[in-house]
Amino acid sequence: MSLYSYMAWRNIWRNPRRSLLTMGAIAFATVILIFMLSLQFGNYSTIIDSVVKMRTGHLQVQATGYQENRDIHLAVADPSQVAATLDRAPEVSGFTFRAHAFALVSSDNRSYGTVVTGISDRELTTSSLARTISEGRFLTEDEGAQALVGNILAKNLRVKPGDEVALLGQGLDGSVAATIVTVRGILSSGQDQFDRVSFYIPLPYFQELFGMGEAVHEIVVIAERLEDVAGLKQRLEEEVAGDTGRALRVLDWKELSPGLLEAITLDLMTGFLFYIVLIVVVAFSISNTFIMAIFERKKELGLMLALGSRPARLTGILFLEYGMLTTLGLAAGILIGCLVTLYFGAYGIQIPGMAEMARHYGVPERVFPQLSFLSVGIGSGLVVGISLCTSLIPVWKVRRLRPVPAMAEG
Amino acid sequence: MIYDVCPPTIHLRKGMKVMIGQAVFALLVILSGAPVCPAADTLAAEHIVDTAIRYYRGQSSAAIMDMKIVRPAWSRELSLKAWTKGQKNSLFTIISPPKDEGNGTLKKGDEMWTYNPKINRIIKLPPSMMSQSWMGSDFSNDDLAKSDSIVEDYVHRLIGAEFHEGKRVHVIQCTPKPGAAVVWGKQVLKIREDHILLLQEFYDEDNRLVKFLTGTQIEPVGGKVFPRFWTMQKGTDGRDFTIVAYREVRFDMEIPDDFFTRTSLTNAWR
Amino acid sequence: MLLQLAWRNIWRNPRRTILILAAVTIAVWSMVFSSALMRGIADQMVRNGIATLTGHIQIHQQGFRDDPSAAMHMKNPTELKQTLQDHLPPGALFSARVRTNAVASNARHSGGVTLVGIDPDREKKLSFVSSSIISGNYLDAEDPYGIIIGTSLMNSLKTRVGNKLVVMAQDTRQKMSSRAFRITGEYRAELEATEKEFVFITLPAAQNLLKMDEALSEICIVLPDREKVRETAAALARILPKDHEILAWQEMLPLVTATLRLYESIIYLWYLVAFTAMAFGLVNTFLMAVLERIREFGLLRALGMKSRWIIQGVMTESFFLLVIGIALGNALGAISVIGLSHTGIDLSVFAGGTQYWGLPKIIYPVLLASDAILVNGIVLVLGLLVSGYPALKASHFTPVEAMAHT
Repeated sequence: MSLYSYMAWRNIWRNPRRSLLTMGAIAFATVILIFMLSLQFGNYSTIIDSVVKMRTGHLQVQATGYQENRDIHLAVADPSQVAATLDRAPEVSGFTFRAHAFALVSSDNRSYGTVVTGISDRELTTSSLARTISEGRFLTEDEGAQALVGNILAKNLRVKPGDEVALLGQGLDGSVAATIVTVRGILSSGQDQFDRVSFYIPLPYFQELFGMGEAVHEIVVIAERLEDVAGLKQRLEEEVAGDTGRALRVLDWKELSPGLLEAITLDLMTGFLFYIVLIVVVAFSISNTFIMAIFERKKELGLMLALGSRPARLTGILFLEYGMLTTLGLAAGILIGCLVTLYFGAYGIQIPGMAEMARHYGVPERVFPQLSFLSVGIGSGLVVGISLCTSLIPVWKVRRLRPVPAMAEG
Repeated sequence: MIYDVCPPTIHLRKGMKVMIGQAVFALLVILSGAPVCPAADTLAAEHIVDTAIRYYRGQSSAAIMDMKIVRPAWSRELSLKAWTKGQKNSLFTIISPPKDEGNGTLKKGDEMWTYNPKINRIIKLPPSMMSQSWMGSDFSNDDLAKSDSIVEDYVHRLIGAEFHEGKRVHVIQCTPKPGAAVVWGKQVLKIREDHILLLQEFYDEDNRLVKFLTGTQIEPVGGKVFPRFWTMQKGTDGRDFTIVAYREVRFDMEIPDDFFTRTSLTNAWR
Repeated sequence: MLLQLAWRNIWRNPRRTILILAAVTIAVWSMVFSSALMRGIADQMVRNGIATLTGHIQIHQQGFRDDPSAAMHMKNPTELKQTLQDHLPPGALFSARVRTNAVASNARHSGGVTLVGIDPDREKKLSFVSSSIISGNYLDAEDPYGIIIGTSLMNSLKTRVGNKLVVMAQDTRQKMSSRAFRITGEYRAELEATEKEFVFITLPAAQNLLKMDEALSEICIVLPDREKVRETAAALARILPKDHEILAWQEMLPLVTATLRLYESIIYLWYLVAFTAMAFGLVNTFLMAVLERIREFGLLRALGMKSRWIIQGVMTESFFLLVIGIALGNALGAISVIGLSHTGIDLSVFAGGTQYWGLPKIIYPVLLASDAILVNGIVLVLGLLVSGYPALKASHFTPVEAMAHT
């Protein structure tokens, strides 16, 4: 330890109460920033996850053109090949197959045109569909003529579990696809646009009904983590899309739910406004303690100048002091911030009013902050920046300090 | 064989009902050549269209048709029986392939019902389905349900004349009347002087061709000179089209009104 | 005496005082401003919800909400309108509508929509449509063929103003009824879903299409005061026939109601955070101020001053500082809120063209008196509480301790 550092260190502990308060302010700012950022990021990954798990998946493999045209003929003829690739990929946490067809669904005297979706048993390991069952129960692949119906569609059709619904559509070969299915369960995702149209039947039954053979329209992939998606997409594009001469195509969640990213950006920007306000408050809190300390030590600093210390050396020591205070405060802040975030990350936070919102958007009713390098990095980076800036003020003050008036004051 | 296409209750009436007055008027209009005034022009054009539609549909008809739907990647054939009466009522039922046998469509006025024998249900088509294709063909449900609207909902104007197989052909532009529930920007019809519809073009509002129906191989069919093949083509690239060929047809027999009921829809194919 | 002394003490070291004042001012400003932002977002959501056809109160035939068809209509519009005229508070607006599910199609595309027949003049005063036209014109009451559609629907039907749109719906007798309209105007809404869903024609055109005669599906009421909604709804429920359903916006927009509650809790959490951040600065500054005057306190103690008085003295000082800081903070908050109340904070640059949630793209801060009072109360009470620590400290210096302090 050099002499300077030693002096700075000594200075800090000469007035432990002041130093502790300063560190406390820094630590608190760090904790708050880390926690809030984790909360916001956590919220986004919850939202992305739930939209993704509810509907689209992180990635989908589709026939080229299906996303735009929704033509029943644009199908993935041999999904098992893609499945083999997915089975080998370590980042894949689950995948499932879906097939869609436009059909007329009809109860005793009401009919609606909707999109019928065939789902496999893999759905349980991939999507949150099963959790939105509000009445009846979920489908299994071997059950045949059974259906899950969105609650608004069910209300419009006036059907409940156990009732029959006629399905009339057109198969892959153009022939009439007609059947009667029994409503097995009602789905309430809380999202009207889905609950108005949702109609699910078992995939093998769908394939038989619509003459699809083994073909499906979407292979829905959930990655282990959101961060894995980009890499996985690239690999799949090379392996799957490349092998089939671009007949297949890989789409990620941003392409599958356009608008979601924009909504998150808007929310982030709204949050950003509040961060600015928070940063202003934190900056004041830190700079206040720093400036105050200088006032208080004016006499001491004047004495040192009078004793022949060069101002440069004095500012050096002061900088070191602030550096140490910031480092200690920051360290404590990061530690506490991480612990607090981890605690709430495990147990979640329940905010009044959140439950209805959550149900509507199909997200969990608790908020789970998510600790990440990003939130810790941004949070502590901001604090370091603020400390650095505010420490310049007292240092600048010292440069203008004249020994005699300083000692005379107070 | 022709009896096959008629339900037992229907008695054929010999001969064709000819509306003499109308025919004479049409003849006069056609012979007089260029129209003298716009009103007469419009009236004449409307009359040509009306006569052609009546000629085409007859007072009533019963037919067996083969339909071929062609797409770049696949094609499909089916056969059906069809009955029409006036311009409001019609009934179609598929007789082959066996997989689709018995699927039928009943049209009364602007409304349609569909029947599937496998589930033995009649389903009324909701509004949202009317613009969907009929049995996957290039004909929409609306094409079938609204075949009469070409006379009632449009203002007609003669815009040219051509010759086809030595006969004069009227080119008529049909513009929808304001408020008429018509999606097209305009239609252009080519009607031969013997009332045969050769071409019907459907344009959007920007005057781009959406689809067109052509009649070919004009020959005596069921006692009338008539195009045996009708092709509905989407767009102009010739990739997607549907051909309907009349195998047998009979016009102007007596079909009771109560034939066009839901009961017939379920039984017609048997 | 005490007050005077405290006041003089404050200005003995103006620089320190200014620092404390700045800390309090910034904290109060941050609370006032951020709650105004939050209220602004919430208020915008409520307004948008209300302007997007919801209004404050709606009247329907019982069962309309479950089955919004032409058959579910109110048959005595004249009587109903008279009742409303007689019983609604002065300044209240209402507008009659016909509403049903329909299909809109052109030559190439078609889509499901909600057809709304409106009285253009009355509707202008209480919903968003007339003020949201971005091309073409608003509906003309005399134009039986005019229709107004949203940008998003316009795009999905690939059509434009001036083009035709055929609307098909089931009439009161469950028969299909259709008619062509000409697109006279295009509107933009806050939510893409709104643009996709609603098409507007005149009330007589809708009644004619659906063969409803004079009947109505819906009456939408906007009151001069949003706070009176529940009261008025309850009053209407007593007067109107039992087969009418009267709904307040809180019931029609459950999601907005939930969002309001959520924001309420977030605002309180935010107060806590901002206050704690401020408290560090406050305690530190006070503490230093006290330590600096350690000799003075020691001397006072030596002269026989009771520690209670010293506490009182220090607390009075902090009270002054807090009150001045709060006043400045309120002023600053008010200035920033007023300054932004016209232009708002525009976030649309980041949000692109579409909307997923109901978040507004431009935030206009709204300052509620209740929030301001709460902020002032919290800062004053908790501020005094935290300054209790330095005060206590000051009262406990022993004269010896104090004199030893350099």
